[in-house]
Amino acid sequence: MTYDIVFVVASVVAIVAALMVVLSGNPFISSLALIGNLIALATFYLLLQSDFLAAAQVIVYAGAVMIMFLFVTAYLGGRADEPTRQRPIWQTLAALVAAAGIAAEIVFGVTRESFLHGPVVSDAFGAPQAIAGRFLGRYLLAFEGTSLLLLIAAVGGVVLATRRPAPRGADEPGAFEVERPQRVRSLQSSVMQAETAFEVVRTGARADEKDEA
Amino acid sequence: MPDGFIVTVIKSLILANLVMGVFAMLTWAERRMLGRFQVRLGPNRVGPFGLLQPIADLLKLIRKESLLPVGVNPVLYLAAPVVSLFASLAVFAVIPFGGQATIPGTDFKIFLWVSNPSVALLVVFALGSLSFYGFLVGGWSSSSKYSLLGSMRAVSQLISYEVSLALAVIGVVMMSHSLSLTAIVEAQHRDGLPYIIPQFLGFAVYVVAATAETNRIPFDLPEAEGELVAGYHTEYGGMRFAMFQNAEYVALIAFSAIASVLFLGGYGWPWLPGPIWMLLEMAIFIFVAMWLRATLPRVRYDKLMSIGWKVLLPAATLNLLVTSVIVAWRA
Repeated sequence: MTYDIVFVVASVVAIVAALMVVLSGNPFISSLALIGNLIALATFYLLLQSDFLAAAQVIVYAGAVMIMFLFVTAYLGGRADEPTRQRPIWQTLAALVAAAGIAAEIVFGVTRESFLHGPVVSDAFGAPQAIAGRFLGRYLLAFEGTSLLLLIAAVGGVVLATRRPAPRGADEPGAFEVERPQRVRSLQSSVMQAETAFEVVRTGARADEKDEA
Repeated sequence: MPDGFIVTVIKSLILANLVMGVFAMLTWAERRMLGRFQVRLGPNRVGPFGLLQPIADLLKLIRKESLLPVGVNPVLYLAAPVVSLFASLAVFAVIPFGGQATIPGTDFKIFLWVSNPSVALLVVFALGSLSFYGFLVGGWSSSSKYSLLGSMRAVSQLISYEVSLALAVIGVVMMSHSLSLTAIVEAQHRDGLPYIIPQFLGFAVYVVAATAETNRIPFDLPEAEGELVAGYHTEYGGMRFAMFQNAEYVALIAFSAIASVLFLGGYGWPWLPGPIWMLLEMAIFIFVAMWLRATLPRVRYDKLMSIGWKVLLPAATLNLLVTSVIVAWRA
C-alpha cells in the first residue's frame, strides 16, 4: 500500500517534470525540472530494491551533471537563446517519429507475458558488493573501456580550455597587446599596479578602418 | 524500517527537533566562545549567561516583514532556503547514534537510528549534492548581481571540495569493506582502533574539505561580506535568511557527526551510553570549527581553488593509493 502511494506520487512528479523540461521557455527552469525528473527516477530505483543505483543516480546525474548545466545557464543568463522558437518543421516531425517509436517499444514490453509476474530477487540484489563483483569480474573490459573514455574526455576538456589563439604580429589586423606601466614607486604600489592598472592597447588597425583611411 | 512505521516517524520527529535545538544553542555557544577568544564578553544579557539569546533572536526574525524583492522568480526564491535546510537536515536520517536500546521503565526495544541503509555513506553525499541547489537557485532567483556572484562562488567552491571529501572517505570504506555507517563503526571496534590513526591523511583532508563544504571561515568566500555584501542570501530577510543560516549550522553538525562515525569510532566505546559518546565526539569537531573561525583570516579566492585542487586532491589520491595497496596486500 505504502509502495503504491510512493509509486503514484513519483510517477506524477516524473511526468510533470518531464513535460516542464520541454515546455518551459527558460533554460534554467528546464534544468531544474530535469533534476526533479531524475530524483523521481531515483525513487523508482528505490522501489525496485536498487539502493546503490538510486544513490548513484542522485550523486552523478541530479548532483554533478545537472549542477554544471545550471552553472552554465546561470552564467549565460538572458543571453541564452530560446531553443523552442522558430525551429524547422523537420525537427518536430523527427521528434514525433522518435516518440512513436519509444511508445511502441513500451507497449511491446508491457504486453509481454513475463512482465505480469516480475522476477523474484534476494535481499542482496543491487547491493554495492554485487554490483562491484560484476564490474570487476564479468564486465571488466567494458568498465575499464568506459573509464578510459571518461579520462580522454577530461583531458580533452583541459586541452580545449587552456588552448589560446596563436599570437598575432603587431601589424596584423586585430592585434592586441597588454601594456603594463613600468614606473615603480614602492613595493606596495607596484603590486597594486601589477594587479589592477594595465592598459589594453590596440597596435594593429582593423581591416575596415584601413579602408576608411 | 525494522522498528515499524509509527516508531520511525516518532524517532524522526524527535531527532529533527533535537537537531534544531542544538542549532539554537550553537548560535549562542559560538557567539559566547568568539567573545572569549576575542577578550570580550559576548551575549550575556538575555537570561542567565545569555542563554535565552537564541529565543530573542528567533522572536526578532519572526517579526520581520516578509519581503519579496522586485524582479525575483517568486516560486524559486521561496523554495531555495527550504531545499537547503531539507538537504542538510535529511542527512540525520542515516546517522547512527547507538545500537539497540531499551526505553527506560519498559521492555520496548528501539534502534538509535532512523534508517540504516547499506549505502548510507552514498546517501549522505547524494543529499550533500542536493544542498548545492538551494544556494544556486537562491542566488539566481534573487535577480541581484551580488547574490548571483555569491552563488557562483558557493557552487564552484562546493564542487571543488566535494571531490576531495569523497576521495578522503573512500579510504575508510576500503578498510571497513562497507558503505553502511553502523558497519563502519563495528569494523573500527573489531580492529580495536579508530580510523583516525591508520587514515590520518584522509582525516586531515576530510576536516579541511568539510570546513569548506560548510562555508565556514577560513573558506567562507561565498558570503565574503567585504566584497559580496552577504553572497547568495543578500536579498533574503527574516526567517528565510534564518533558514539559510540554519542550514549551514545543521550541515556543520551533520559533518561533525559523520566525522565521529568514520574516524573516531562513533557510538561504540565502553563505559558511557552510545549517544553520549557521539555528542562528545561531535562537540570536539564543532569546537574546532569555532576555534578556526576565531583564529584564521579568510583565504583569497585563487588560493582557495589552488588549495582544493593542488593540495587536497593529490593528498586524498595518495591516501587512496596507499590504502588500496595495504588493503589488497593484507587480504
